[in-house]
Amino acid sequence: MTTRRHALKGVAAATGLTAMGLPLTSWSQAGDLVVAAAPPITGVFAFAGVGLNMGLNDYCEWRNEARGGIAGRRIRYISEDSAYKMDQAMAVFKKLMAAHRPPVFYGDSTAWAKAAAVEVSQLGTTLTCSPSFASDLADPEKVPYYFMAGPTYASMCYILLEYINSQAKGGNKPTVALVYSDTEFGRDPIEAAKARAKQLGLNVVQEIITKPGSVDVSAEVARLRRARPDYVIFHGYVLAPIPEFIRQMREAGMTGTQFMGTIWSMDKSTAEAMGPAGEGWMGVMPYRYSHDVKDAPTMVTMNQFAQKRRPEIKYVSTFYTHGWLVGSIFAEVIERVLKANRPLTGPNMKAALEGLSDWDSGGISGLPINLKGHQIATGRIYRFDANAKLFEPASGWIRTS
Amino acid sequence: MRIGDFKASYAHDESLLTTPVQRSWMLGFALLVILFPWLGANYLTYLACLTGIHVIAAMGLNIVTGYAGQISLGHAAFMGVGCYTVAFLAKMGVPFYLCLPAGGLASALIGVLVGIPSLRIKGLYLAVATLAAQFILMFVFREWDGFTGGVRGVNLPPAELAGWVMDTDPEIYYVIMACAFVMLLGARNLFRTYIGRSFIAIRDKDISAEVLGIDLFRSKLLAFALGSFYAGVAGGLMGYFYRAITPEHFTLTLSIFYLAAIIVGGLGTVLGTILGAAFMALVPEVLRGIVSLITVWAPDAMALLSPMREMVFGALIICFLIFEPHGLVEMWRRVRRFFHLWPFKT
Repeated sequence: MTTRRHALKGVAAATGLTAMGLPLTSWSQAGDLVVAAAPPITGVFAFAGVGLNMGLNDYCEWRNEARGGIAGRRIRYISEDSAYKMDQAMAVFKKLMAAHRPPVFYGDSTAWAKAAAVEVSQLGTTLTCSPSFASDLADPEKVPYYFMAGPTYASMCYILLEYINSQAKGGNKPTVALVYSDTEFGRDPIEAAKARAKQLGLNVVQEIITKPGSVDVSAEVARLRRARPDYVIFHGYVLAPIPEFIRQMREAGMTGTQFMGTIWSMDKSTAEAMGPAGEGWMGVMPYRYSHDVKDAPTMVTMNQFAQKRRPEIKYVSTFYTHGWLVGSIFAEVIERVLKANRPLTGPNMKAALEGLSDWDSGGISGLPINLKGHQIATGRIYRFDANAKLFEPASGWIRTS
Repeated sequence: MRIGDFKASYAHDESLLTTPVQRSWMLGFALLVILFPWLGANYLTYLACLTGIHVIAAMGLNIVTGYAGQISLGHAAFMGVGCYTVAFLAKMGVPFYLCLPAGGLASALIGVLVGIPSLRIKGLYLAVATLAAQFILMFVFREWDGFTGGVRGVNLPPAELAGWVMDTDPEIYYVIMACAFVMLLGARNLFRTYIGRSFIAIRDKDISAEVLGIDLFRSKLLAFALGSFYAGVAGGLMGYFYRAITPEHFTLTLSIFYLAAIIVGGLGTVLGTILGAAFMALVPEVLRGIVSLITVWAPDAMALLSPMREMVFGALIICFLIFEPHGLVEMWRRVRRFFHLWPFKT
């Protein structure tokens, strides 16, 4: 009877608060803290989604084992596959939100993030993140409860252009070509990249749009050969048609041109899959690679836990690292709110997130993390060494404005 | 045991629900639909909304393909036309009850244009022509920034009726269900009219239909217009439902999804449309629920079981096509026939 009465009181209070327009807190105010996710374990993004899911799951397990959860409360990680389909991701989101009202939620795509943002803003209970680095999602005003654990695609291009600019010899600035897929993902940073290139005095000599996963790129390669850029930046692809571009251009004798990519084409597995074209492949990565553990205690901890928890994994991917970092940001935000004795509401978590200034990620990023703009606008240029089958740093850490 | 229906008037003969049993079932179903947001969790309401939108869109495709025999692979793009029209009008402050028909009309107009080749070509050739329409419209969605928001998409304000802002799933649920009811009723009645029957005649043998005096060109274009109208309204509802729309919502995959829905459900039937759309929308959810249950005991099994789920879903569709080519509606009819004579053998 007491339980029933309490439940009725709770329902009445919740109804009253909602009616007054006050935001409800997440249901995990007491007891376990739920970290919910709809990662793309199957579908076209599964190459990354499996690692993302493992990383986030393992961070929660590690946190429970090593630090007893967050502020004495254990973390419960709940995830269901989104298959990289927006309607399914929203279904998982609705299901887990209804069942657990988690304080934090990790989704699967830009489309999900935009659709969920509407509901998350209304609820005001949950902080969200996803693998999307779409530039218009890093907007604390319009998308207040979303952050990205890395730079936006535009910021990634800025980092690449900063690096290219730093390679200028004498008065000659290098020339750049932009090759991108005809998708939202591919087009996202292009205007911003062209504007920044202009600011830096870099000449964008060619701009090519292709279908994602194109096979025949000989016409596009011919255009690049005529333009003879010093650097070609690919964006909006994971693998194809990048290797074909590189192969055909090298066969045409353009050995001096440097090919560069952004985050999703920069994992070790992707570079290996490029075959001979992968030699010298460069790009921007916001995290350290898992073999790069110098001055990075968190990378050591993460590797050790992954080894213990998943002995079948030979190399910890950047996707896993991304999941781990997302988990640690979630935990840090929740911990700050709880330590301040404040309820886990969206506004409180947003304030805590934006308070993460000069936060030490333990070496996952080489620079202190600042999430005031809801993105981590730092990264580093890496180059793939096909003999060692590893990415090695080609620059220091770069922070963009 | 019921052995027959005695119809004493033309009105009774023409009614959609002819027996007290049918009327009781329909009343029960209507009550369930009305009370559903209170009975189910938010997640179930979300699924019901999604299914309602799929039912309307699939009904449109069934009019074009199932009833009129004109294959269309551009149905998702027609939804997109409706959705972007609704978004454009909604942002200008036009109320939702005007936006939705306007979205349907805009889509119908495009549907008529796409349907023009249907007089000269049919079968696979028409499929390719409509496929081209899908790609052309997708290109327009991505490029026409001023109207569609380009690749970044658009946000819609919530539907509003006399100060009542429908910004939650249970609220928009009633709009979706009301639209689904009206449009399914319209479709059901359409095929009792000259127009609907002319569609069926064209599907069965277009030359014979023409000999009978049916204007092929007009009827085929009308089928495309009606089918696209349904798609446009469904697209508009999708816009109000998600309130954040990008071109990625209206890809060829969605067109094929609807084609699969009407084939699995049963071509040329209203009930088959409902069953097919519900099957395609809900079975993946049921399978994912099963995977989630299993992962409670074996947390690491998700990576293995999730791909299996897709395979099981695909296998289920193939099995339906092999063992029941007339779709779920035929299975339903068999169940009904069984109970007509129950407990006696059929």
